[in-house]
Amino acid sequence: MISRLRIFFINNAVAILILLLIAVALPVAKLPAKFLAQEILLRLGRDTFLVLALLLPIMAGMGLNFGMVLGAMAGQLGLMFITDWGVVGIPGLLLAMILSLPISVLLGWLCGAIMNRAKGREMVTGFILAFFMNGIYMMVVLYAMGSLIPIFNPEMLLSRGYGIRNVVGLEGVRQAFDNFIPLRIHGLKVPVFSYLLIAAGAAFLVWFRRTKLGQDMRAVGQDRAVAAAAGIPVDRTRILAIIISTVLAGLGQVIFLQNMGTINSISSHEQIGMFSIAALLIGGASVTRATIPNVIIGVILFHMMFLVSPMAGKNLIGSGMLGEYFRQFVSYGVIALALVLYEWKRVSQENESRASLRREAAAGTPKPAGGGAA
Amino acid sequence: MTHRSLIQRAGAALLLASLPAVLFYCGKGHTLLLDTNAVTIDGKEYASADTVNVAVDGHGPESMGRAERAQVTVGGPRHTIAIEVATDDRKVVRRISIPTFMDTALVSVPAILGGAPRQHWVTKFTAPPSGDAPVEQIQQQESSIVLAAPPSAAVTKP
Repeated sequence: MISRLRIFFINNAVAILILLLIAVALPVAKLPAKFLAQEILLRLGRDTFLVLALLLPIMAGMGLNFGMVLGAMAGQLGLMFITDWGVVGIPGLLLAMILSLPISVLLGWLCGAIMNRAKGREMVTGFILAFFMNGIYMMVVLYAMGSLIPIFNPEMLLSRGYGIRNVVGLEGVRQAFDNFIPLRIHGLKVPVFSYLLIAAGAAFLVWFRRTKLGQDMRAVGQDRAVAAAAGIPVDRTRILAIIISTVLAGLGQVIFLQNMGTINSISSHEQIGMFSIAALLIGGASVTRATIPNVIIGVILFHMMFLVSPMAGKNLIGSGMLGEYFRQFVSYGVIALALVLYEWKRVSQENESRASLRREAAAGTPKPAGGGAA
Repeated sequence: MTHRSLIQRAGAALLLASLPAVLFYCGKGHTLLLDTNAVTIDGKEYASADTVNVAVDGHGPESMGRAERAQVTVGGPRHTIAIEVATDDRKVVRRISIPTFMDTALVSVPAILGGAPRQHWVTKFTAPPSGDAPVEQIQQQESSIVLAAPPSAAVTKP
């Protein structure tokens, strides 16, 4: 019984920690329940699709895809183009999504190919790759757009005549998805269409897991060597997992930014990977296992913490900045804690299997070769 | 690759290639300048009523006097314009089409109200040189910009 409890606490350490923090901060913050409910409803529609994009690489054994930032860049580029061309409303957002597809596929393929050369170190590779691609993205946005890539709307350009301004307004598509099916419940605005898009994304993932490719991804995630021996093209399967994740991240970024209503062309994409990963981990996921309920619970808890912590900080010590620091601390801290727990569990599993081998050898039982953790 | 899957993939590629064009056509945004200046078409003058309420796609309505302009932003090529004359309760509802690449269109309210030929309802707006428009004629009314421009000041007939 104690052992079971111990395993439960270890497996859900991050979620339990955040729940405790929220439980302490909520009464201190003294935020109206209606305000909290409204914010959570809106933020759930804004962020969930982005977090869904992380599931497939985890299934394929590639860990948390920090490379999803590449997809976010593609989504932003799509939105910049439709803003320049003056395409508005739902058709504008759908066009931005379609425009992001080829860019996402290309970047996803590049990311997957590089990760295949760094097997076992995918997370740090994705993290650094995002920094590298950020440089190329900056070159495209700050130099190529307006000089090599024609931009027709002079209001989007910097005063020097090329390069996109820091802030691009999305007036034509602002909350177009959120307001497409207007619904109010007890005065709370519900972004129904955004939820439908998220449901479609989740349904796609559920369906995909049952396909041949989905099963291949699962097999690759469990053991690359066994999957390769079974005839599964491991490298190709891993690249496809990253491509699909990058494409979903691009679509998610469009949903995210239509809700925000503006693009910060320099930095809107930068924190997306970190925050999405933190949200997923808070939902109870780990580096090797993540589900759709983890996504939804994670987004709710993460944003709940985001909402209550600045107010709690302000009420406790008279400064809202404490909450801001706290938010940053928790985002990065949660990821660090999850990685440490993952590594600790891996090492203890290896030790346990080694000890059991020794016990069996001492007992004189004949033992087939292998048995260590992958 | 089988013959069937080749056709399926070609169909999907064709759909992906044509969908952006359809979305661009359906979602292209336009700025409509609702104009109540009197216009002369084929020698006949069409003047606006003293006060009209103009609604585009059910949004508004915008209350406008004579020789005024109101700005609305719309998406897509086809729109419904409803013009209601405040003095005699006359109401006209018409469908207007905006050419895809016409960013700013001047919609003549008197032409629609007076039953002028359809091709004169919407014309391309070309902004006059900044020096031509007297500053005192520019008024700000709530969220919309209303310009008391001189008749035919900025109209380019197609």
